[in-house]
Amino acid sequence: MKSFYDAIVNLKGMMTMRDVYIIGTGIHPWMGFSEQVFADFAAVAVDNALKDASIEWKKIEAIMAGIFIYGGNAGHLSGQYLESIFGETGIPVVNVYNACATGSASIRMAYNSIAAGETETTLAFGADVSPKGFLTAKSDNAVQDRDVIRWKMGGLPNPIYWALECRKRMEKYGTTEEDLALVKVLMSEYGSKNPHARFKKTYSIEEVLKSVYVCDPLRLYEICPVSTGGAAVILTADEELIAKADNPVKINATTMGSAIYGDPTIRISALSCPSVPEAPMLSESYSASRQAYEKSGIGPEDIDVLELPDNSSWHYLVYLETCGFCGEGEADKMLRDGETKIGAKLAVNPSGGFSSHGEALSAQALWQVIECANQLRGRCGERQVEGAKVAMAQTYGLMGNSGTTIMTI
Amino acid sequence: MENMANKVARIPNLVDWSTGEVRLMSAKCASCGTYFFPKEHYQHRPGCSREGVEDVLLPQKGKLASYTIQYYPCPAPFKTEKKITPYGIGLVEFEGEKIQITGIITDTDLKSLKIGMEMETTLLDMYTNKEKQQVVTWAFTAVK
Repeated sequence: MKSFYDAIVNLKGMMTMRDVYIIGTGIHPWMGFSEQVFADFAAVAVDNALKDASIEWKKIEAIMAGIFIYGGNAGHLSGQYLESIFGETGIPVVNVYNACATGSASIRMAYNSIAAGETETTLAFGADVSPKGFLTAKSDNAVQDRDVIRWKMGGLPNPIYWALECRKRMEKYGTTEEDLALVKVLMSEYGSKNPHARFKKTYSIEEVLKSVYVCDPLRLYEICPVSTGGAAVILTADEELIAKADNPVKINATTMGSAIYGDPTIRISALSCPSVPEAPMLSESYSASRQAYEKSGIGPEDIDVLELPDNSSWHYLVYLETCGFCGEGEADKMLRDGETKIGAKLAVNPSGGFSSHGEALSAQALWQVIECANQLRGRCGERQVEGAKVAMAQTYGLMGNSGTTIMTI
Repeated sequence: MENMANKVARIPNLVDWSTGEVRLMSAKCASCGTYFFPKEHYQHRPGCSREGVEDVLLPQKGKLASYTIQYYPCPAPFKTEKKITPYGIGLVEFEGEKIQITGIITDTDLKSLKIGMEMETTLLDMYTNKEKQQVVTWAFTAVK
């Protein structure tokens, strides 16, 4: 443990933020429903991260934990549950929830704690066990929580929100059903080469177009399901640990964004949206990515690998635009021209994306960061993006939550 | 619409039919001009004083800004006595109020749906409660 004196000396560090590196990452592979508890998945991921970083548990000076919202008291205090498995040491343990951007929040807090000089080596983790059946309302107070209204009266499961936006896009920019299917074809090809992926089957355009509509125009293979998985990342500014790490990855920026007034997107759980846009679509992700570009001095043109949140094929297209990789309405052409493939200037979702993994709420943002780190560390085998030096992980969480992490090697 | 008196909204303060016309219950901020739905879902413009929020009913008619057809049943707590799947969901724009609102599309040929078509607000029967009242939600239907 640090002494009080050390903490005061470290205040100096707060004035000049210092460089922070990823030295260890760990994943519990993604899967469907499991009878195991979330802490089991978390423990596997954390164990793997400790091994990767070649450090012992006692080196961890703080834990930034993603909350597992379906896990009751244990899930809401996931950090404490994790700490007790490895051994309690009295360090700060903070539990955080930002919907599907929860992992972005945990890694950002870990980064800030280290950059400010509060800690040297910090763990960020998240693990989720897919609930049986559908995600649905978590309270019964409609005035307090309008999520209750959308479930009781609106008839609005999540993919409907994406379908409503996708239809608007097709009308405005001429996106075709073939474009939506092509996203799945590409994602399934990469997912089949990823040992961590839940879905490893490859699909042709015809097979995707034969799959049933869930909510027209989105088909079964064009939306991602909920999954079980765990992910952990160890960050440090400790020079000794960085020196002995296997290809440490520098974090150039890790940011979070919220929505901007006048964003025309119909957000999950909302029943209304503005009809006259005064802000970009998915403004929370616009905000997060622009903050990251500004802080890092790195822009879309510099990025070799992008992991974006392809909750549906619509997301894949719109996120290329939201994050500034092309202009509005230009993503379809980018996709058709092969400009998002491994081997092109920008490789999009070489992991196979959420399409091949599904969502594990508190873990998925960290998993995206880990895929980026693995690409930069040259560990991705058949799906390796040759010579990748700069990578970006972009998340999307419901109700105006987003995070961006830019990394280099 | 017959038997309006025996209908009850599953959740109050969202839809009104006391005037004989079915209309959504919104609120308008007099300071920033923003309309909210549900009316407690405040979304003020940054810097707004938030003074003078008043309840308003939206116009009965609007235009279809987007739609989808849902092919599997919405899970509980959603419930209807009659099978409604597949059902349409519309995003209906109230132009003067600069707001779009989601709602189930009822009593409309789903194949005829087209962005820009005129829609009106109506009620959809969900189920009968213990008090023998017809429990309803708001919905949209194509203007005939």
